[in-house]
Amino acid sequence: MEILDPVGSTQAASRTPAPRPASLEGAIIGVLDNSKPNARVLLEGVARALARKMGARDVRVWRKPGASIGATPAVLDEMAAQCGAVLTASAD
Amino acid sequence: MLGTHEFRPLALAEARAKGLPDLGIVTVPHPIGGIAEEIVAGKALNAVDAVLAAVTRGAAAGAAATGADGAASRHRAPDDLLAFQEFVMAQGWGDGLPMIPATPERVAAMLAGTARAAGDLVAILPPRLGRATVERVAVNAVLAGARPEHLPVILAAVEAVAQPVFNLQAIQTTTHPCSPLIIVNGPIAARLGINGGGNALGQGHRANAVIGRALRLVLQNAGGARPGREDRATQGHPGKYSYCVAENEAASPWEPLSVERGFSPEVGTVTVCASEGPHNINDHGSATPEGILTTVAGTAATVGSNNVYLGGEPLVMLGPEHAATVATGGWSKADFKRALWERAQVPLSRFDPSNLERFAVVHPAGFKDRPPGTLAPLARAWTDIMIVVAGGAGKHSVLIPTFGATRSVTRRIEG
Repeated sequence: MEILDPVGSTQAASRTPAPRPASLEGAIIGVLDNSKPNARVLLEGVARALARKMGARDVRVWRKPGASIGATPAVLDEMAAQCGAVLTASAD
Repeated sequence: MLGTHEFRPLALAEARAKGLPDLGIVTVPHPIGGIAEEIVAGKALNAVDAVLAAVTRGAAAGAAATGADGAASRHRAPDDLLAFQEFVMAQGWGDGLPMIPATPERVAAMLAGTARAAGDLVAILPPRLGRATVERVAVNAVLAGARPEHLPVILAAVEAVAQPVFNLQAIQTTTHPCSPLIIVNGPIAARLGINGGGNALGQGHRANAVIGRALRLVLQNAGGARPGREDRATQGHPGKYSYCVAENEAASPWEPLSVERGFSPEVGTVTVCASEGPHNINDHGSATPEGILTTVAGTAATVGSNNVYLGGEPLVMLGPEHAATVATGGWSKADFKRALWERAQVPLSRFDPSNLERFAVVHPAGFKDRPPGTLAPLARAWTDIMIVVAGGAGKHSVLIPTFGATRSVTRRIEG
């Protein structure tokens, strides 16, 4: 028999990511802590090790207001303006 | 983007929905929460090389959206009804219970239940950002076993869960055991046979069963919250199959929920709440409002609740006999909410210090540097407590906590 599809189309837009940096030397590495327990430990641990290894200038940390609430546009704009690369997390 | 192995399917779905399917995603062994920081730091060091590769390599642009809202595409499915059940599960469309094949004829009959056009967009549903058109909702309603006259209630519920204050993205993907509970008010409940009497949250009434189930299937299929994949519930709860109830307005001494929210009593409404399963409140002894209050407050004031630190609107579903005891004592619904908020408080000494530290970050006013005798209420304000009356004869009420970072939404049911 023939049946209709229960899933359908999506709203997902195609986006072109920002160019990847060739090097992190002198860059600021941003961390967006998603507020899950120990996420900051993991993200900052990776960022600091990366900074040491690649000669980045600094690591700066921002935070979402809660694990289940998105970051504010102001925070995202600030990170985009300041950082050469950003690490964030999904869920746990 | 970092995460643990367990959450990789969700991270991939989110990247796809944002149009970046090739986003660098690095995972570490689960878990990172509830373990020593030194162990997490070790996991961080092990991930550094993979993160470096992800940060510096090019990521391709995402695929475009998967087409416009034309008529639903069609699939060949087995004619045999038993084989059809295997087919829907293999497609990932099922919930485990038998389904009705959504043939073009059945979907057309379902669409006769609404005046809305088949191609109208009802909502965009996370995490997949699926476009839930009227027709798409109707297809899932057929699969769920719904009748055409149920469709307007289902459409209103889909619209309600998609309101930003409901926070559907989080509710669809959280580890917390929650699912949208649909509370129906107005004469439409009786007209459709939506039960709000005895066994209101249990089995035995088709309208409750299929309306709640249809919403779940829309969320799973159009929304793309597939169990064990994007839907990361640690245990979930049985209401994830279906969770729909009518308020027992006839047996309530107070104004219905919909009237509290500004609708006239003749208007049919749905209210959706991101709800845990119901927990019993047994009180066979109390003959006064204070007595009922003592039992409800004692059951509600608990340590492991999302509402106690995230806020939100915990729901108390009073059985009609408990509600009558409270009202006969002269208390309004607001009186009971206010008294419950004052009484259902947890001393901070009952929480483990590590959790208090975490709560202090989320809700500083309630938990940061508070003296030991401080009490944490079960909601941020007494007006956040929801009370509805449902059920039949008997001395039971139920407590239904919520996800916390969510607000319930009430919408009118349109034809």
